Amino acid sequence: MANGTAKPTGLAFSRETFAKLTPGPFLQAHLQQAEPVRANGRSLDAFRTPTINTGSLSHSNGSAVVRIGDTAIVCGVRAEVLLASDIPIPPSDDSSEDEMVEQLGLLVPNVELSTGCSPSHLPGNPPSTLAQALSYRILSLLHTANLINLQDLRIQYTEPPTDEDLPDEGPKVVTKAYWTLYLDVLCIALDGNPFDALWAGVLSALQNTQLPKAWWDPDREMIVCSPLASEATRLQLRHLPIASTFAVFSTASPIKARSEAQSWVLADPDDFEEAVCVETVSVVVTSEDDARESVLKLEKCGGGHVGKVEMGQCVRLAHQRWRDWQGVIGG
Amino acid sequence: MPLDTSTYSLAHLRLDGRRWNELRRLSASISTSGSADGSSYLEQGNTKILCTITGPQEQKQGGARRESNEAKVEVEINVAAFSGVDRKRRARGDRRSVEMQHTIATAFQGVLFTHLYPHSTVVITLHVLSQDGSLLACCLNAATLALIDAGIPMSDYVSACTVASSPTSSEGDGVDATDPLLDLNGVEEQELAFLTIGTSGEEGKVLVLVMETRCRVERLEGMMAVGLEGCGRIRGMLDGVVREHGGKVLEARVG
Repeated sequence: MANGTAKPTGLAFSRETFAKLTPGPFLQAHLQQAEPVRANGRSLDAFRTPTINTGSLSHSNGSAVVRIGDTAIVCGVRAEVLLASDIPIPPSDDSSEDEMVEQLGLLVPNVELSTGCSPSHLPGNPPSTLAQALSYRILSLLHTANLINLQDLRIQYTEPPTDEDLPDEGPKVVTKAYWTLYLDVLCIALDGNPFDALWAGVLSALQNTQLPKAWWDPDREMIVCSPLASEATRLQLRHLPIASTFAVFSTASPIKARSEAQSWVLADPDDFEEAVCVETVSVVVTSEDDARESVLKLEKCGGGHVGKVEMGQCVRLAHQRWRDWQGVIGG
Repeated sequence: MPLDTSTYSLAHLRLDGRRWNELRRLSASISTSGSADGSSYLEQGNTKILCTITGPQEQKQGGARRESNEAKVEVEINVAAFSGVDRKRRARGDRRSVEMQHTIATAFQGVLFTHLYPHSTVVITLHVLSQDGSLLACCLNAATLALIDAGIPMSDYVSACTVASSPTSSEGDGVDATDPLLDLNGVEEQELAFLTIGTSGEEGKVLVLVMETRCRVERLEGMMAVGLEGCGRIRGMLDGVVREHGGKVLEARVG
């Protein structure tokens, strides 16, 4: 219009349009209110409540379906026999039992994200870097946590006494085979924060796992299992570590002074928030024998907002979440 | 082999206690996943399938731009490693999966009103969580429910089931070998000659018929008749699931 004095009419956007066009300022507008709230209505340190369903799959030794908000995963545990004679390099005698679980590779997690769980994970593609990274994080956490006693995974055989044995020697117990647990995790729907859900799924599925009674048959020279469910043993986990992930939303930018930037720590980010946050913190806490709670694993990557104080807050929130989860997971 | 020792002739009951024309327990629910356009979960006995629909969406940019006035239906089947009796990581694109995907895609290409969505793609993703027979049939049933949840118009439900030609694999005498068996589980599927039949519409138009084993020609008509009747019953159950869900949605909106 040639007439420059007319006031331009404002553009009126619906909430959804605003969120799609400028997600960063949309979230910032929510957080800058007097009572900060997130775009999904949760408060800054509110986690989504999980629902866990175990034992629904008939062909697996253990299974769990975990839903945290709109993120849903299915984990199935299959136990297969690894004969001691098939192990190419037997572990050395002086490695501890916990190290042997890692050396023998008795826990094999596999995370499948290319299932169409979200528009960024279309099926038919090879595993993305995120899927590979998550598989590895689960594996390293399983080994660090030392959840499973090696003795539960051994299939042993007491050799009958022969003439050559000395009379004082006790019966010789030989490990003939090990149970290898294959943990296959399928992501059905992804709405942010896959790691917490995947870890919860792995944990619940392991807790739900039943190993059949197995023994070495010397005549047939193979491992034989009992088909009776009454003779199966449940896997015992030493403790139940819980993972909590946080994302940090910051208005910091290279062109602004650092002191002018505002940052907020958001617990349990969903997909929308993960897209606008670069900094994430992951805390895994546990408590052995219901004594002091301890931090098992800390991971932080991204920006530079989280320092000593904020990390302490995150760990406190993670401990709180651990206590809440004991009701959901704890037996 | 259990079926061949033919306890069937004594009580006319199969291994799981069903008669020749009884379906397994079918339970299904739709709208199970919040993030997909349409989703469903179907259990037929121990076969558990989760289906999600993405679409209709824009054609993918890669590859030659296909000239068409219709939507294209693409199917992807993910068989979980823990689904079968043995743990097996299925290689992507192995022939059995590709063939099943093609069968399902062509079945729905004929039923969906694809002319309403030119130049777009509908992607059906099927997750097989547990396999215990009738895999193709359950996939078709689950996909039907998920497509209805996604709101893609179609001419009628597609319902499918499996039928075996006789209760024993050795067609010997002494057994009433004229009973075709309806809705097979995993053990029966391995031992008997069977076909999968998928129909659409109340009058039972046959959309899918797959048979990969050998059977006598004179048995075929009987098997198809039993299959059509079974599909009709499954159609009724799927319809019930959809109406129940619709009722809940209506209550939430209005009530």
